[in-house]
Amino acid sequence: MPLLSRLMGGIAGLLRRTKQEQELDLELQQFLETSIEDKVRVGMSRKAATRAARMELGSASAVKDGVRDAGWETVLETTWQDVRYAARALRRSPGFTAVAVLSLALGIGANTAIFSLINTLMLRPLPVSHPEQLVQLLSRYPGEPRLSSFSWRHYLHFRDRNTSFSDLLATSRARFRVTGDGVPRETIDGEYVAGNFFTSLGVRPAFGRVIDARDDQVGSATAASAVVSWSYWTNRLQADPAVVGKTIVVNDAPATIVGVAPRAFFGLEVGLTSSVWLPAAMEPLVQRPSRLMDGSLGVGMLGRLRPGVTIDRALAEMKVLDRFRLEDFAKSRSVAFARDFTIELEPAAAGFATLRDRFATALLVLMTLVGLLLLIACTNIAGLLLARAAARQHEMALRVSLGAGRARLVRQALIESLLLSAMGGVLGLALASVGARALVRVILSGRDFARLQQPIDIQVQPDLQVLFFTATIAVLTAVLFGAAPAWHALTTAPASSLRAHGAAGDTRSRRLFGKGLVVGQIAWSIVLLSAAGLFVQHLSNLRNQELGFQRRSLLLVTLDATGSGYRGDQLFVPYQQLLGRLAQIPAVRAVTISGVTPISGAGASRFISVAGFPESPDARRFVPLNWVGPRYFETFGTPLLAGRDFAFTDRGGPPVAIVNQAMARYYFGGKDPIGGRFQFVGASGSGVTAAPPAQAYTIVGVVADAKYLDLRETPPRTIYLNAFQEPRLFVNELAFKTTGPPAAVTDAVRRTVREELKTVSVARVTTMDDLVDGWVVSERVIAALSTFFGGLGTTLAALGLYGLLAFTVTRRTNEIGTRMALGASRADISRLVLRGALGLVCAGLVIGVPLGLVSRRAAGRVVPGLSVDGAWPLVFATAAMVAVAMVAAYVPTRRAASVDPIDALRQ
Amino acid sequence: MAEQKPSSLVQGTLHMLILKTLALEPMHGYGIGLRLEQISKGVFRVNAGSLFPALRRLERDGLIAGTWQATENNRQGKYYALTAEGRATLKRETRDWEQQSVAIARILGASLGEL
Repeated sequence: MPLLSRLMGGIAGLLRRTKQEQELDLELQQFLETSIEDKVRVGMSRKAATRAARMELGSASAVKDGVRDAGWETVLETTWQDVRYAARALRRSPGFTAVAVLSLALGIGANTAIFSLINTLMLRPLPVSHPEQLVQLLSRYPGEPRLSSFSWRHYLHFRDRNTSFSDLLATSRARFRVTGDGVPRETIDGEYVAGNFFTSLGVRPAFGRVIDARDDQVGSATAASAVVSWSYWTNRLQADPAVVGKTIVVNDAPATIVGVAPRAFFGLEVGLTSSVWLPAAMEPLVQRPSRLMDGSLGVGMLGRLRPGVTIDRALAEMKVLDRFRLEDFAKSRSVAFARDFTIELEPAAAGFATLRDRFATALLVLMTLVGLLLLIACTNIAGLLLARAAARQHEMALRVSLGAGRARLVRQALIESLLLSAMGGVLGLALASVGARALVRVILSGRDFARLQQPIDIQVQPDLQVLFFTATIAVLTAVLFGAAPAWHALTTAPASSLRAHGAAGDTRSRRLFGKGLVVGQIAWSIVLLSAAGLFVQHLSNLRNQELGFQRRSLLLVTLDATGSGYRGDQLFVPYQQLLGRLAQIPAVRAVTISGVTPISGAGASRFISVAGFPESPDARRFVPLNWVGPRYFETFGTPLLAGRDFAFTDRGGPPVAIVNQAMARYYFGGKDPIGGRFQFVGASGSGVTAAPPAQAYTIVGVVADAKYLDLRETPPRTIYLNAFQEPRLFVNELAFKTTGPPAAVTDAVRRTVREELKTVSVARVTTMDDLVDGWVVSERVIAALSTFFGGLGTTLAALGLYGLLAFTVTRRTNEIGTRMALGASRADISRLVLRGALGLVCAGLVIGVPLGLVSRRAAGRVVPGLSVDGAWPLVFATAAMVAVAMVAAYVPTRRAASVDPIDALRQ
Repeated sequence: MAEQKPSSLVQGTLHMLILKTLALEPMHGYGIGLRLEQISKGVFRVNAGSLFPALRRLERDGLIAGTWQATENNRQGKYYALTAEGRATLKRETRDWEQQSVAIARILGASLGEL
């Protein structure tokens, strides 16, 4: 049957209801009369015929009911009746409704917020054709985050030799200073892309054309082309329809705008949107010296797998091709260095994996926590609904005896649950969009991102997937917490409940079930609370670990001397004078300057060769270095264990160095390192600044080990050089040990710098505390949210316990009165109620503590560095739960103790 | 008279029988019931409680159409007639039914050896 005509008929039926009723009446009337006439014709008396015909027809209203039930629109109509009925019932108990909707909103909202982040960062596919065929190439070095960056030279090798990919594309992020006729002068973010970038992704231009193979040749006529993004075109180029053919000046090179990318296409990495795409062949025109020409331009690569090629097969091939890259490393660095690199492939339907890698763990943990929270909320509401159902026993029984079908009652109970969860879901969506945005803000404040040049912008507008997710969990929760009352409705025994309402029908099994719900809430809350304790402990371990320097009262100020007019070799005297002036600021205890701020995520390192320590070139490791001024160790609070500090007077003298304990131990063993000598060999490693010439340094001091690059490393072997002994002064990181809060001296520092060196500017001001906090953003988020969710879950469990106890006391008023009349004291009665409460809590503990242990071991596997052995998170969870339970039991206990036996017995 | 409840009819059979009845000529509700009883020699007796819901469903599904006309004894009656779609459905269902009943008869009539 065509669905549409059925649908139309049904809708028409709903509209024509009255007319149809009249017609049906007429039709039945006619049926009856014809029937009577027939019977009269065969010889019955009219009276007898009428009687017989009526009997045959049966009750006219029953027939009409049958006709009415013939269509689906009846179901709709009765459902609507039920919805209105449920809404009325909920309105009648606003307290219950508010508590249920609110806890659902929090549960659903938290889940939606976390899911919308997961969706944005990890699930949503790129707006390109067949994103599921895309894989990303990643490079892994042990102990470091995976790198998505390769050299252009290696890209060409992979691109030209592989057989696994129908296309292998490369892209390199860059910032461009743009200007031009009708183009606002500003710095924008964009990419250099290989010629196959757009075509292999299947991204077609909104208009104009995209960059293609013909633009891919360095020096070709169309190499100086640009594709601009839709949002750049609308926001900066006034959506000029004649934009194609216009010129945009990038850095100093003019490029012709050849097209506008489609609206949905933002680039290949969530959070890092591009405004302009240039052919890689244009890089030599924009960037001098060119990094494309020597093949060192860093690029990310995405490949499109050929049909039938599995990711494993592609990986096997890439591993063979990767030998080229590793040999390159072996030549430029060391064999050992190259040996440790591996190449990986990963599905990249959602684009490059950087943000995914960073947040996958945190989001997974949070998703589990909010799932748990929702479970508690569900259990809680199930308990509330059950109590409500018991209270509405009489009403239900009455409806059954008036002819309501069991199915109808069950449906009604479910509709009530659905209505609650729908309200909770709508409210939750609103909470989620606020929460997700706040979460993004906090996450992006992290150290990892403060270091990125381009600001990250994550849009977490709820899309269809999120709405679908929310709707699904709302329905699921409704079914979950609605099952109990629905079952209740199904098993209502009308006769007994009508006879004596109240205690009747409150069977033993039902009471047990209610208790089970409360026990469950307590158990889940303990799991949540112990997780919260675990993450808070983890955070405090990370924050308060031994850094090798003092994090408190340390102000960090970065100077910028690039536009100052001073050459590097002219800065020694002014900087020395500046340091002298800065040391006189009242609240400053010590001040120093260095090239690298510890745990700032940036650093420099080189190979060294130590006199008297034979080391094969393959065994060499990079040694991190820092160029520091005098009083560096005093300012940072790193103990000087032997020898002396640097002095300004070292300038012009023989080169000196200070090493840390790890370095001394490795290279000098038990011998005294003071007086030992080393020199740098080979090219400079990753990092900043100039390469010192190959001269011998004499070690004059040994300091305690300190973290260098980031918060999580074990302190590496480190060399400190005297910044004032280098040919040029290139250090700009000032550090101040202050007596009070570090931020308090900021103004004085700025003023002094301005007075002393008019052309040197202050680029950035921060504190070591902020730097440390910047490293633990996701831990902070997890700790804060798990505490919040733990508190919420516990509150809900307490509410559930309170409800159950209050209900029990009311039910047992009569019994309590009897006990009192027989001589029980008020203390006995209090003990009775408290014992009941404690019993529930203990049952919750018996289930919750082992669950907590198991889940914590699971968390330990997922979260790196999480210590799962400490007992106190569980002790804390248990203590907190017992305390909260006692508070919840207080009111019912008092009420029980204040029962007046005479009143109670009279009832 | 053997009282045959429509509920014990094979699901959908009543619909097919009504369609067949109306294929001969348009008829009102009472007439349909009477005709079914006559043709089946009293085996099927359809009461109003089953007949009218069935008519309503068929009408909604567009297989039959009702019009108000004068009856033989000059009253207004709702006469139902097959639509083109109803005719097609009847044809299809008759064919299906025949195939099934032949198959069922064969199974029921099979001797042990054949099974």
